[in-house]
Amino acid sequence: MLRPPSKARLALLGAALVAIAARGAQDKPGAPAPQPAAQETKAADNKPATYVGSETCQTCHEDIFKAFQKNPHHLVETDKKYGHTTQGCEACHGPGSKHADSMNAADIRQPAKLTAAAADRICLSCHLSQPTHVGRINSSHAKNQVSCVSCHAIHKNGPDGLVARKPADINRQCAACHTDVWASFLRPYRHKLPEGAMSCVDCHNPHGSVLPHAMQTVDSNEPGCFKCHGDKRGPFSYEHAPVRMEGCTACHQPHGSANPRMLTRAQVGFLCLECHANLAQPTLPANGTMGTIPPGFHDMRQPRFQNCTICHQKVHGSYVDRNFLK
Amino acid sequence: MRFLLALLLIVPVLAQTTPPTAPPQDQPPASAAPAAPAAPAAQAQATTAAPAQASADNPAPTAAENFHGSIDFGYRWLTDVHGSMDEYRSVVNLGQGPKLFGLEFSLLDPNTHLFDELDVRAYGWGGDPYSTAHADIRKKRIYDLSFDYRNIAYFNAVPSFANPGAPGGVDEQSFDIHRRALSAGLDLFPGGHFIPYLDFDHNAGSGRGIETWVQDSNNEYAVPTLLADSTENYRGGLRIEYSRFHLTLEEGGTTYKDNDQASDATLLAGDNTAAIFGQTLSLSNLQQAYGIRGHSIYSKVLFTSHLASWFDVYGQFLYSEPKTDIHFSEVANGNFLNISELLFYSSQSTMGTGTDNQPHTTGNVGFELRPLRRLRVIESLMTDRYHDAAAPEGLTALTAGNYATATLTAPLLTPSAFTEYVNYNQQQIDVLYDVTNRITLHGGWRYVWGNAETLAGELSQTGPFVSGQLKRNTGIGGLTYHALDKLTINLDFEGASSDDIYFRTSLNDYKKGRARARYQVAKALSLQANFQVLNNQNPAPGINYSFQSRDNALSIFWTPDAAKRISVMGEYDRSTLSSNIDYLTLPFLSPSVSQYRDNAHTATTAINLALPGIKDGKLTLGGSMFVSSGSAPSRYYEPLARVSVPVCKRVSWNAEWQYYGFGQSFYLYDGFRTNSFITGLRVTQ
Repeated sequence: MLRPPSKARLALLGAALVAIAARGAQDKPGAPAPQPAAQETKAADNKPATYVGSETCQTCHEDIFKAFQKNPHHLVETDKKYGHTTQGCEACHGPGSKHADSMNAADIRQPAKLTAAAADRICLSCHLSQPTHVGRINSSHAKNQVSCVSCHAIHKNGPDGLVARKPADINRQCAACHTDVWASFLRPYRHKLPEGAMSCVDCHNPHGSVLPHAMQTVDSNEPGCFKCHGDKRGPFSYEHAPVRMEGCTACHQPHGSANPRMLTRAQVGFLCLECHANLAQPTLPANGTMGTIPPGFHDMRQPRFQNCTICHQKVHGSYVDRNFLK
Repeated sequence: MRFLLALLLIVPVLAQTTPPTAPPQDQPPASAAPAAPAAPAAQAQATTAAPAQASADNPAPTAAENFHGSIDFGYRWLTDVHGSMDEYRSVVNLGQGPKLFGLEFSLLDPNTHLFDELDVRAYGWGGDPYSTAHADIRKKRIYDLSFDYRNIAYFNAVPSFANPGAPGGVDEQSFDIHRRALSAGLDLFPGGHFIPYLDFDHNAGSGRGIETWVQDSNNEYAVPTLLADSTENYRGGLRIEYSRFHLTLEEGGTTYKDNDQASDATLLAGDNTAAIFGQTLSLSNLQQAYGIRGHSIYSKVLFTSHLASWFDVYGQFLYSEPKTDIHFSEVANGNFLNISELLFYSSQSTMGTGTDNQPHTTGNVGFELRPLRRLRVIESLMTDRYHDAAAPEGLTALTAGNYATATLTAPLLTPSAFTEYVNYNQQQIDVLYDVTNRITLHGGWRYVWGNAETLAGELSQTGPFVSGQLKRNTGIGGLTYHALDKLTINLDFEGASSDDIYFRTSLNDYKKGRARARYQVAKALSLQANFQVLNNQNPAPGINYSFQSRDNALSIFWTPDAAKRISVMGEYDRSTLSSNIDYLTLPFLSPSVSQYRDNAHTATTAINLALPGIKDGKLTLGGSMFVSSGSAPSRYYEPLARVSVPVCKRVSWNAEWQYYGFGQSFYLYDGFRTNSFITGLRVTQ
């Protein structure tokens, strides 16, 4: 079994990180981020490529150039803030003089051919300084080599130019990889994504989040579920502990379920009693002690007691009753 | 919202009446677009370059260039719903009548002072259960304004849910409500680096429902309720963006109110109709009202910093403090039983007041270190601390029928004030190494720890509070392999061991694996396969929790000849879930095992065919199906056929048939089936 690191190990790790950082600092103090493609491109001569301007690119890539004029990234071309005025194409593709001369694709940086991390680095040279990427350290997309251009079309124009914005398009884009998740939305009890009423990004932040599963946050640090289900947020005088400690997924399958109310069990009684198990022994086991008490006293053989939420209806939390009856 | 709908319809019409006559400022002059030489790239894209070149020769935009949009409207018929209408409304809930299925338009006009770009889209208007509208309005370097509105109908009255043993006769726990959500956001760009913004959200639910009024454990009565809650969220902030760092400061607040009511003036026998000591229990009158008022402030600080080419730092501090003021009153009349004193009484009144304060603090900091070109080290530390201070106070008075002057005052329902807390912490380090340009290895370690203390159940034998701890170590591994340009493989694995967990069903000692592969077999054919498994074990005595889920999915996309004549998309998913856990069956606390099984097949397909002899005519066949066995064996079919035939240049006729069929093996009365027919026109510009 893995254990938390000792102080000595933490100190050792810290020292190693500092040493690595110092090495990096000595190598390239303040240098721009490494550009793998540029480094790997074998130039025909030793003269470094220079910027030639987007109009030169336009001569061959007319369609891309035109589409780019109406793309949000066109700001790179016109806004002095980014330092690439009149060099919009080369802001991402690097200096293009050699490519313009040779018309050889190998003579220019092609982000689509780079590793995901290297391609992302190009995007993040501008976009790192934005709130979107605060959650990036926890983003499973970044850690699984899903680059920015997997979802964002850099050259396209129009309202969906940079990224899908219509719910149906967003869902289609996410489902292209997450096919197993999309299958859950084809179950009878589901959030209404196939109907286009919602999209994946209503609940998930694809750039990463402080919460698990890239969950969106609302009201600063509450789970995104409460944006629509505000009546479940509370604070209640009597909180149902799993709502806060394990989240909605303790009882619900949020994507879709064969069970009413998207519950994880077919019958409510089993869902409740799997935690409220009335353990008889005086000393409870270490793993999983909360919620086992109180002991129930209902006769579960009677139909009126088989769905606990018929009476304990305020199961998400109650303002006035400790037993969630009202 | 009718005005909004009318506005959405009028704006595109008005937009077409003002075609710009001058070239857009952002486009280069015509002389800056020389004819393209016969370069390889241009030749490769000759198909798309030709119309683009024609436009480039005449840079003055036309109305058609500036305005793009479509409107899709028509009529929907339903055949009679066979089976349970309540279940149909709980699952599908589509109705008949004239519908605006979709409206989309974009207006690009750089010559106006008000905006450069206006995008509007609306779907599902005319009584559909999911009506949405969205608008984005932008003026480059000036502002970015967005609106989003949704009106979603929730109907839920599943016969088997309320009481599996007495379906149809017990209709507790059903509701028929609408949730309406409005969001508006405004970003301003007064300078290059400072971006102030304002946002507003409104979310409200209202409608009718049926809940239960519970008289201890003696009886419960289904009573009609009026549901009404709303939340408003206001926030504003400032984003400071420089090339080396970013900082966002945000302040916000919310208000919340809940005015749920329940009332009934009919004589109800309740679910327990058996006589007790010769008397039957009943409810003759009920008046219940909630007056919940909540408010909250919150703060948000986000930052990112690109300290060096090899070092980025991220962090956020989030704080909220929602508070609730509680007012509750209830008067019930009937024949009730106080079983502890064996006393029948005729009236019960309850007053509840209280406050609740819940400060919630979250912090997250981390960095990405790139000591070598191929090596990344990502470290993150997160803490989430939620405290709750509640001061509820309730008083229940029981009035005995035979002793009209006697009032039995119940003790306070709970301690007058108490606190609870939940603290969660997580530390994670990930190391990613690009072995080659095609292979990336990923390893890491996550340590999660926390503690919590909450109010125990009222009959707790171990004191008024219950506490728990959380300690879990997780090892992480993964591989991403881009073999050739056509094959991508991604593998992920997590293995965890827990010393302490909160609940019996929490993740304890678990293994989670995922494999994903995508293969571009040919230009027109691609395949994707996903596999996922989760195995969680808690062998503690009295628990013996064993959980395993698997999911296998296979997708195929076939688009020969750029999908001009046919395209096929198909997905098949096979999932299995098995769960066993010990529990004690009531009322004799006899040891039992709760078993849950779910073995499901899910398939979806869409085949698009070009109609022969009809230019741009299209036939779509497909739909989805879900069949499961196990604890809740169910079938749900949604096949569809859709045809689209152009009527003239900008108008096409659409017709659609879709079947909805649902059935459950254990609860036959839950099933339904119906056919939906749609016909309509789509007008595009």
